[in-house]
Amino acid sequence: MVWHAGLCVLLMAGALVSVAGASALDLLTIALAVAQALLALGSGAAAALILQRNHLGRTLSLVINYVLFLACLIGLAHVLGLFMGLDDLADYMARGVPFLMGALFIVGYFVAATELRERPVSAARRTLGRVLMAIGAIGFALTAGVVPALASIPGKYASSGLLPPALTAGAVVLGYMLWSMWRGESARAMGAKNIHSERLNGWLFLSPNLLGFTLFFAGPLLFSLYVSFTNWDSFNKRDWVGLDNYRRVFNLTVQPLETPDQPANQAIDVQVYDELFRVNLLGQGYLIGAEDKRFWISLRNTLVFGLLAVPLSVVPALLLATLLNSRLPGMRIYRTLYFIPSVAAVVGVALIWQWMYNSQVGWINYFITSAVNFINSVFGTNIKDPQIRWLADSDYALLSVVIMSAWQWLGFNTVLFLAGLQTIPRELYEAATVDGANPRQQFFNVTLPMLTPTTLYVLITTTIQALQVFDQVFIVSNGTGGPGTSTLTMTLNLYQNGFQSFRQGYASALAWVLFVVIFAFTLFQFRRQRRASGAYDM
Amino acid sequence: MKTTYRLIGLMAIAGLTLAACAAPVAPPAQPAQPAQPAQPAATEAPAAPAEISLRWRTRPDNKEEADVYASISDEVAQKLGIKLTYEPGGSETASYQDVLRTELAAGTAPDVFWIPGTDIADFVQRGLLLDLRPYASATEGYSDSNYYPEPMFHLTYNPATGKTGEVLWGLPRDVSTFVLYLNLDLINEAGAPDPRELAKEGKWDWAAFKEVAEKVNALGGDIKGYGMNAWWGPFGAFMNAAGGGFFNAERTACSLNSKESLEGLAFARSLYDAGVAVPYGEDSEPPFRAGKVGMFQNGRWATPGISTVTFNWDVVELPKGPSGHMGNWLFWGAYVVNKNTKHPEAAWKVVNALTQPDIQAKVAARGTNIPSRVGEAVFAEFLKILPEKNNQAFLNGLADKPTAEGPLWTGSWPDFDKAMGAKVSDVLTGKLSVEDFGKTICDEAGKAFNK
Repeated sequence: MVWHAGLCVLLMAGALVSVAGASALDLLTIALAVAQALLALGSGAAAALILQRNHLGRTLSLVINYVLFLACLIGLAHVLGLFMGLDDLADYMARGVPFLMGALFIVGYFVAATELRERPVSAARRTLGRVLMAIGAIGFALTAGVVPALASIPGKYASSGLLPPALTAGAVVLGYMLWSMWRGESARAMGAKNIHSERLNGWLFLSPNLLGFTLFFAGPLLFSLYVSFTNWDSFNKRDWVGLDNYRRVFNLTVQPLETPDQPANQAIDVQVYDELFRVNLLGQGYLIGAEDKRFWISLRNTLVFGLLAVPLSVVPALLLATLLNSRLPGMRIYRTLYFIPSVAAVVGVALIWQWMYNSQVGWINYFITSAVNFINSVFGTNIKDPQIRWLADSDYALLSVVIMSAWQWLGFNTVLFLAGLQTIPRELYEAATVDGANPRQQFFNVTLPMLTPTTLYVLITTTIQALQVFDQVFIVSNGTGGPGTSTLTMTLNLYQNGFQSFRQGYASALAWVLFVVIFAFTLFQFRRQRRASGAYDM
Repeated sequence: MKTTYRLIGLMAIAGLTLAACAAPVAPPAQPAQPAQPAQPAATEAPAAPAEISLRWRTRPDNKEEADVYASISDEVAQKLGIKLTYEPGGSETASYQDVLRTELAAGTAPDVFWIPGTDIADFVQRGLLLDLRPYASATEGYSDSNYYPEPMFHLTYNPATGKTGEVLWGLPRDVSTFVLYLNLDLINEAGAPDPRELAKEGKWDWAAFKEVAEKVNALGGDIKGYGMNAWWGPFGAFMNAAGGGFFNAERTACSLNSKESLEGLAFARSLYDAGVAVPYGEDSEPPFRAGKVGMFQNGRWATPGISTVTFNWDVVELPKGPSGHMGNWLFWGAYVVNKNTKHPEAAWKVVNALTQPDIQAKVAARGTNIPSRVGEAVFAEFLKILPEKNNQAFLNGLADKPTAEGPLWTGSWPDFDKAMGAKVSDVLTGKLSVEDFGKTICDEAGKAFNK
């Protein structure tokens, strides 16, 4: 009780100091102060409830001590450079891999020998295994830099001022308080029942995921929402601009044209707007201008990409899965082959396709040219070689990326459909056969309805993937979204704003607009699917 | 046995976790170097001057060049008595500048780094770079005039006063300029005049250039007369050669719609309309290296790659345009110092050391770069550098009133480049006429100013 009363005072003082000591009150300072104040209030409530021997006091105490204990540990790790060190260590890990693999191989051998032969391993072999494992471990530690890195910790600890000892002391005290309140004696003293302990156990098991979600997903998500209301450039002060970023995203103007070819600068304020497109309605021409033309172009490109790439990677995947579901010899090999593009790195795939798409020395045009020449020579026709400039012509560039992406996503979708197909009971097909249904009828009346959950999952994940397309266009257009703006997608546009033009605030606004677009599409698909399939309970 | 495995596993996890707290050890090639405490950010101070540890980064064009930089790093570290860690930057998936900007925002950027000339203004105006003038002034033998004046104009420009020479944001790593890489076998086979001879005779102009391109192109099949890549440099050179350019003389407004700029763009467009050029937007280097392009416009950085081709090749300076000049660019980038470095003086010494003649000569010897220092002795050394192709063509390009690749002190270069690049791409792929381009381009690209 005394501990929580003291903690309450300490945290409340911390909150006040945070606010008073800040040179400028921004949302982060306020959020930190609010968090401290909430913990202080929780701690005060815990003290009061513990005084009344209420088990809720114990629960509150455990939560607060646990959160603060973790905060101290993470803070200590940060001060000692743990997170940067992990990154550094990763660079040197490869050097120790041979030793590690050697040790693992030996361990694997001895374990396998024990289990497979079902007889005890001789003492000599076990000793030999241990010695080899020790050599492997030492070799790994030396080559990966573990030993000298460990040796440098005390120096780092000593040279970082008072913070590491303070955080260590905090972690020890909080750990002790956590343990003392967790004990069975404390639970009984506070009147906690088994069900309370079980609930706490459940939350404890969930806590790594919950904390990870809060720190690394929900936190950044909320931060980006906050940033979208500022003009933050990553470096300097964040000024609150309210909805201005969103206003700029959606700011359009529609002006009637006196003549169809009237220059844009005579119809709209070109200091603010750029011409987006012209349209003729009932004989009257209109010019539509946008403050951020690239947003609308990227939205159009993204939607077109989605409309083409999703069917192209879902429908063939379903057909392919149906074929691969047959029990013909060699099917496992085909299943593996079709899955390979899904596990290949996007960058590698994009670079290979970039070469294949080259209009002069690429394989695709080579085959087209060969086919055209063959047809002309055999049939005496005069078909002209199209010499398609796949990635250099704005009419084809997006289509090229669609083909490439669909090819890559096809394998994964096929595997999902295959898994779905294998869960359909054979009895249904047997019954359909008895009823006289032909294979086509079986496919449309048995397979497709039974695949509804899988189809929904495949459609939603592929749509999300398509609306977030980035890697492929980044590689094939060298990050420009070209030729022209033909491959500028929403994620590429927000990337350009955030990381090339230093407009993190505006880029965050674009990210939230993209989120809304994806959410709307997903919701639409859910509702449509639910309407189409009464059997599937959403 | 299970307990043993668990114990070993726990120990391994604990060991790795604890080890992660510290810095990596030195690479095996340098076993004598002891492990140092982690220096993740440029903001960490060492315990004593003897332990000064700096990180620096530049973008190498290939593995061999990265090795050269690494060896130079060791040499400079030894000379200055500090620990200096070289980090090669840039890859297919991680743009050099984008990663650097992110690290600057996160506070983990190196102490010294290279940036292209176009980024200088942006970095300065966001307060990311350290003014090195006080350190340079106290350095014996240092003079701004040791380097090409065009980059030094921007590197000494003070945006607060609008004057040059008051500050020093960095020193140029190297310079480069465009040439035309020639496939001599194709040119001979086409019976076209030798561009090198035409250049010597002073007859190497746009008309002659187009004639050679057309003759090579007439060989038929998938042979093209000319190729350039899709970025601002190549088409900008045509605009410059016609007497135009991207900006007005003060670099405060768009001049892409000037008569001269449009003339340059129209000439470039005519190459595509005539079908003599590799389609705009496609990488022209692979077909050139495959022996299918007569003339390929690129900078010095392409030399090492092209020197491996199997056909006879050489270089020639760009042809002269209507302005009487080649309209070439002076490409440059600079070593600059992170404003948050804790060792500004040591960082300056690193920058200064990296741009000394002997160090520049070692980098230039790779064939990728041209030293950023000026002087007859430097030029004479450069002319000896392998691959012993017509290096004079590069120096000629640098001597003929080149336009310095430059930052926008009163605007946003990335925004200007995006607006311009997209529209020019439309022109050169036949989607937009030069006339329509001229009508709207400065309305769109002009918005990049005063951002």
